[in-house]
Amino acid sequence: MAPHDRLTAAFPRNIATERAAPLLHVENLDVSYGANRVVTDVGFSLGRGRSLALIGESGSGKSTIARTVLRLLPGSACVSGRVSFDGEEILGLSERRFRPLRGRAIGFVPQDPGNALNPVRTIGSQALEAVALTDERDLRIAKERILETFAQVGLDNPQRVFDSYPHQLSGGMLQRVLIGLAVLPRPLLLVADEPTSALDVTIQKRILDLLSRLQQDLDISLLLITHDLAIAAERADSIVVLKDGSVQEVGSTAAVFASPTSLYAKKLHADVPALNPHRYAALRDPGFRRLKDSAPKITVRNLTKTFEVDGRALTAVNDVSFSVPSGTTHALVGESGSGKTTTIRLLLGLEQPDTGEITVAGETITGRTRRSMQTAWRHLQLVYQNPFTSLDPTWTVERLVREPLDRFRIGTPAERAEWVRAALSDVGLGAHLVTRKPQALSGGQRQRVAIARSLVLRPDVIVLDEPTSALDVSVQADIVAVLLELQAKLGLTYVFVSHDLALVRQLAHTVSVMRHGRIVEHGAVSDIFENPGEPYTVALLQSIPSGAAAPVRARAVRPAAQPVFIGAG
Amino acid sequence: MNSPYLTYAGKRLAQAAIVILLAYVFTFVVVSILPGDPITSVLRNPQNGFTEEEIAQIVAAQGIDRPVLEQLWSSLSGFLTGDLGLSMRSSRPVTTMIAEVLPSTLILATSALALALVLAVVVAYGTQVLPKRYGQGLLRAFPSLFLSVPNFVIGLLLIHLFGFQLGLFRVINPDSAWATFFAAVTLAIPISAQIAEVLIASLDHEAGQDYIAVARGRGLRQFHLFTRHLLKPSSLPVVTVIALTIGELLGGSLITETVFGRTGIGSLVQRSVSTQDLPVLQAVVSLAAVVFVLANLIADLVYPLLDPRVKLSGTRALRPSASKPAGATSP
Repeated sequence: MAPHDRLTAAFPRNIATERAAPLLHVENLDVSYGANRVVTDVGFSLGRGRSLALIGESGSGKSTIARTVLRLLPGSACVSGRVSFDGEEILGLSERRFRPLRGRAIGFVPQDPGNALNPVRTIGSQALEAVALTDERDLRIAKERILETFAQVGLDNPQRVFDSYPHQLSGGMLQRVLIGLAVLPRPLLLVADEPTSALDVTIQKRILDLLSRLQQDLDISLLLITHDLAIAAERADSIVVLKDGSVQEVGSTAAVFASPTSLYAKKLHADVPALNPHRYAALRDPGFRRLKDSAPKITVRNLTKTFEVDGRALTAVNDVSFSVPSGTTHALVGESGSGKTTTIRLLLGLEQPDTGEITVAGETITGRTRRSMQTAWRHLQLVYQNPFTSLDPTWTVERLVREPLDRFRIGTPAERAEWVRAALSDVGLGAHLVTRKPQALSGGQRQRVAIARSLVLRPDVIVLDEPTSALDVSVQADIVAVLLELQAKLGLTYVFVSHDLALVRQLAHTVSVMRHGRIVEHGAVSDIFENPGEPYTVALLQSIPSGAAAPVRARAVRPAAQPVFIGAG
Repeated sequence: MNSPYLTYAGKRLAQAAIVILLAYVFTFVVVSILPGDPITSVLRNPQNGFTEEEIAQIVAAQGIDRPVLEQLWSSLSGFLTGDLGLSMRSSRPVTTMIAEVLPSTLILATSALALALVLAVVVAYGTQVLPKRYGQGLLRAFPSLFLSVPNFVIGLLLIHLFGFQLGLFRVINPDSAWATFFAAVTLAIPISAQIAEVLIASLDHEAGQDYIAVARGRGLRQFHLFTRHLLKPSSLPVVTVIALTIGELLGGSLITETVFGRTGIGSLVQRSVSTQDLPVLQAVVSLAAVVFVLANLIADLVYPLLDPRVKLSGTRALRPSASKPAGATSP
């Protein structure tokens, strides 16, 4: 596909302004819902063929800005300011005048590919809508173009994809379809809203590579929305850092990245695990010493578990063995479907294995009745992935944290109240929060409550199931610090389940890499990360964004038109 | 269609047949066997004024003097071959009597259902595209408003307005297309309100999904967005509701036929109830059971065709839930 193909697209354009003016220019943008202002005085410019990342945490307004540009905000939103696209003011345009720009000039790649295609229509029928934007009337040619595009975005069997329904494809394949459909009409601008956050790590990298490649080959401008500073650094020419709806810092990626000036950008930089592998070295080091001299707290031997799915046997966990020395952190790493969740369900006694044996603190977990599991659970606690769903919203913090004590009938009421306060102070929560309900807490506070709840029984082992994946990066850093401090103080043993290798590198001592139910590689974190033996581990490691501007982006071939920045307002 | 669907359809069909047979046996038991023997008590009732001779004739014709199991067998085999016995009043075959009035009721009910669907979809479309200040709220109030107005009130209003005032149709002995149309409207309005209520809720849910934003971002017109993307996924719960409203359609057509003075199943039931013509009533009850079971069968067969995510397992169509089974937070 040569860039000149684009000239055949129906979109009229003024050749004189081709390279001079920015393609997208946002100025003094305010967005509010009623009295609640979510975007305040935001401005930035994106040049033709360039890429810009809007970065921030949840509530920073980054998605709202993207949807303002796409004009996809709900009717209740009140927008003021200026957004000009290709020299034309688009905020004031009627829907009838703006609609011709949709898809043709501005493409959109959404966050969750699993929900971005109509579930009851075939992919082909939806793809034909995208081709219709190019005014191609001949159905045969239209279909050819779709298959061509599917091949171009790296889908192996375009015809099968064309005939499939969305639920028959994986998330990575769906995101390729969506990217293909977005670039098919050759838009001038592609808005990608967290295009990889719902995908597995190795697929994330491939999708980002694909976006970068298409952006260059087709000379499309890219507006990338992300919460991940490392991804932004790799993929964008310039960065706008947002917090609470206003711009904290704006500039070229190299400048923002090398020497952030705003406090917030500095903190963000320090909190990204991929960029700071040794941040918690001091807290973690005692564990490394224990690796040699501690007795194993957890031993898992030859664990196998088979489920029946649609009449076929699926071996979720296949001959898994590992042991965790007391007072250290063992990470189980793998992508979705690797068997890590089943492994911890077996470890917690929530499922019984087909074969194999698990011992925790000298007690055998496997083959127990539910009643005798009760005693084991006193020493074995779980912190669940999503604190927004794992805490009963009608309970107070005090009742939530006290519940395990009530269940096991430990202590007098006065002692229980004392232990609840102690557990809360262990995780850094003040006693004034005890009467609150989860709704009145932030995500980080909720996860601290969940950790306090698991701590209050003074267990030996805590199983952490992706404990930070639902949290923002700065909150994640807080939670990781709390966990490591608790380990140093109380000598806890952690089993840490994650798909985030950068995070594992920061806090684990030993690691098992899982794939298709098997452990493909295990050992000390430093060994695995420095000398990976398996190609799969290498692929996982490569998927950690390095934060360095990638050399693949041959900037030299581009006209040296610098993006024009206006003040951050 | 593939073989899992055919297996599923076959099993559902067999299930439906069994339900219909059981329903028939149940009504037979209620009518002929339960203590008090309704047939004999009807015949012996002095108010009905049968002579002993007539009673003997009817008992012989209905076969009431035979053993119960034999009666059930002949009744059941008659039902399966389309012979529903003889009316106690006119001694005419019940099948013929029903066949005479069924077309009129069918026309009324199907046109009412069609009208209800059109009305519900139009109202629901309006709630999606009308700006707030142009009466979207009014449209959203439509379902609860019309659900709370009784069927016959709407009928009487329509007769008064279009029959007496505007003279569009003859009120006495009406047979024109207009009369049918207004009877259908009367029947359709409460049903469309139910359908619209579910459809609006479903549309609101689907409209908030990402794929709608993506399709809009692809430059689709509002109308195409509605017809191509929103309507089909939103119609899934509606299919179930329609199957359930079929029962209401039958009950409603009884009232509507009375209000509009039409002959139909409704007038037949009315006559048979007042003369206690049990064979006719039993036939109508069985007919209602057949219609209801068929409506639900059709809904179950259509559902997997509308939603490709449905997994067919035996006689059940399972829709995969979006959320994964959550592990216990803490033992």
